Amino acid sequence: MKTLVLGIGNPILSDDSVGIKIAIEIENRLREKYPEQNPPLGITVKEVSIEGFSILDEIAGYDRLILIDSIKTGKRKPGDVYKLSIENLSFTSHLSSSHGIDLATVIELGEKLGYKIPQIIDIYAIEVEDNTTFAEECTQKVRIKIPMIVDEIIEAIDGM
Amino acid sequence: MAKKITIDPITRLEGHGKIEIFLNDAGNVDRAFLQVPELRGFEKFCEGRAVEEMPRITPKICGVCPTAHHMASGKTLDDLYKVDPPPAAKKIRELVNSSFMAEDHTLHFFFLGGPDFIVGPQAPAGERNILGVIQKVGLDTGKKVISIRKRLRDIITKQGGKVIHPVCNLPGGVSKGVTKEDREEYIQTGKDAVEFAKFTLKAFEDIVLKNKEYVDVIVGDIYKHKTYYMGLVDENNKVNFYDGDIRVVDPEGKEFAKFKPSEYLNHIEEHVEPWSYMKFPYLKDVGWKGFVDGKDSGVYRVAPLARLNASDGMATPLAQAEYEKLYDTLGGKPVHSTLAYHWARLVELLYAAERLLELAQDKEILDPNVRNIPTAVPDEGIGVVEAPRGTLIHHYKTDKKGILTDVNLIVATQNNAAAISMSIERAAKLLIKNGDVSDRLLNMVEMAFRAYDPCLACATHSLPGKMPLEIKIRNREGRVIKTLMR
Repeated sequence: MKTLVLGIGNPILSDDSVGIKIAIEIENRLREKYPEQNPPLGITVKEVSIEGFSILDEIAGYDRLILIDSIKTGKRKPGDVYKLSIENLSFTSHLSSSHGIDLATVIELGEKLGYKIPQIIDIYAIEVEDNTTFAEECTQKVRIKIPMIVDEIIEAIDGM
Repeated sequence: MAKKITIDPITRLEGHGKIEIFLNDAGNVDRAFLQVPELRGFEKFCEGRAVEEMPRITPKICGVCPTAHHMASGKTLDDLYKVDPPPAAKKIRELVNSSFMAEDHTLHFFFLGGPDFIVGPQAPAGERNILGVIQKVGLDTGKKVISIRKRLRDIITKQGGKVIHPVCNLPGGVSKGVTKEDREEYIQTGKDAVEFAKFTLKAFEDIVLKNKEYVDVIVGDIYKHKTYYMGLVDENNKVNFYDGDIRVVDPEGKEFAKFKPSEYLNHIEEHVEPWSYMKFPYLKDVGWKGFVDGKDSGVYRVAPLARLNASDGMATPLAQAEYEKLYDTLGGKPVHSTLAYHWARLVELLYAAERLLELAQDKEILDPNVRNIPTAVPDEGIGVVEAPRGTLIHHYKTDKKGILTDVNLIVATQNNAAAISMSIERAAKLLIKNGDVSDRLLNMVEMAFRAYDPCLACATHSLPGKMPLEIKIRNREGRVIKTLMR
């Protein structure tokens, strides 16, 4: 099974970068754990900072997608993880968009256009505190949770 | 740790763009405006860093137009280090920028703004989206769009190093020349992009211009503002995305000002409103008179229609013919109809494709001399390019070692901020009567907003992967009587 771990975010916008930081850490851990394999377990890890539509170029061709991104609901503690499916995000797919296109629409569009779209999609959304201040580091509340979130995702990958 | 939840669409995200519409007792619109979230601390983030980092930092501000920031930043470094890149380097930069303009305009027409016309302004909300567009134009066209966009992005990747955050621009030139093999590929992509642009203009003619109802909407009073217009022009006053002087025409189309990018502070000032984080640029010599149009108001517009209005034409033959057709059809220059931005965007798509082909066919682009090494002591630099969404200005100051002390950016959408607010308010006032705030009418209000292809706080990428827009309708007491999420 071809698996893609995709970390999404803006690397210079504080907690918005959390998906990227987690993806980098996952790649490092997998390389340490499986030094003889390239890529480890056949898992590709990418970090991107793109708007909705361009994600199609990244995810096409894989069987499984593990997507890591930030979310801000203001209803949970920073660093809390929501494990979501595409269905959780699909409520926006039939609305016209002010800018960018949401993930559920991208998936539906890709399928219509004949792309090979991952059939298994797991989304890890990390509640963030600050995604409007320019900074390379995450806020402390989010930063201290990163190792635990990495553990959780690696465990899920290993359990495949 | 992880819990499965269902997210309420309205409260899902904080910090989104908002359109606020205030109704009076009679249910008519009293006031309407757009609010955008504030991104804080960019200047502080940059200060103290080496200025050479800016072409790599500034594309990260925005996931939508990183290439434009990279270009503006590269040109600012040229100015700061007082070094002129060799001709091949300038051509390579313009080639990359043309590829970017063509792919970005394609995306907007078909997938972002296009639904308003391809699917139709009156179509149900559930169909007015990218999937509705595919339904209407057919799967093959959808594949064509994806394919040409990918090939245009391949040029940015090859020359820029990375498509998302290009790294090719250095003070005095670029890091990499064009190989013979790549040039052949770029020529073919250029040729195909020209054909694609012609195909798109034909689709626009068939779907939009041959439909009287659509044309009436485009030229109608709901979407009209008589403002000043701004854009970069070459030595013949033709539209140029990469270089030239900034030209401003008045609401009658007469040249009002033409100046070097380095003189921008003599011509542009910013107005602050208590209800918005965004500053509103206006023409200094006319003055800020509020959110009003006309010759006495310093409000100006940028981006596709503004660029065409501010110029004397297009520098390539096919785009020039389309330029003439646009003005012949819409009653001569300047065109004040905001929805004509969609058409102007396609004229520019053709120009970008033709220019890409011209540059790829130019043998000088193979010259390996792509950089002049800077030797001057840096102090201050200003660089301007045309981004898809309008004039983009970068301005940096450094100490003698090239460490940043001051950064000022005027980004494309910011130039249009006052006009966008005015367009929303005008459409709302003319469309919403006696408290009727149906989804159909609100979509027509949004069309005023989408024509500009605005980029709000474009740096955030949080799930669900798009910048949400909230529309709130309030009664006279300010109480929310309806909320919509886009």
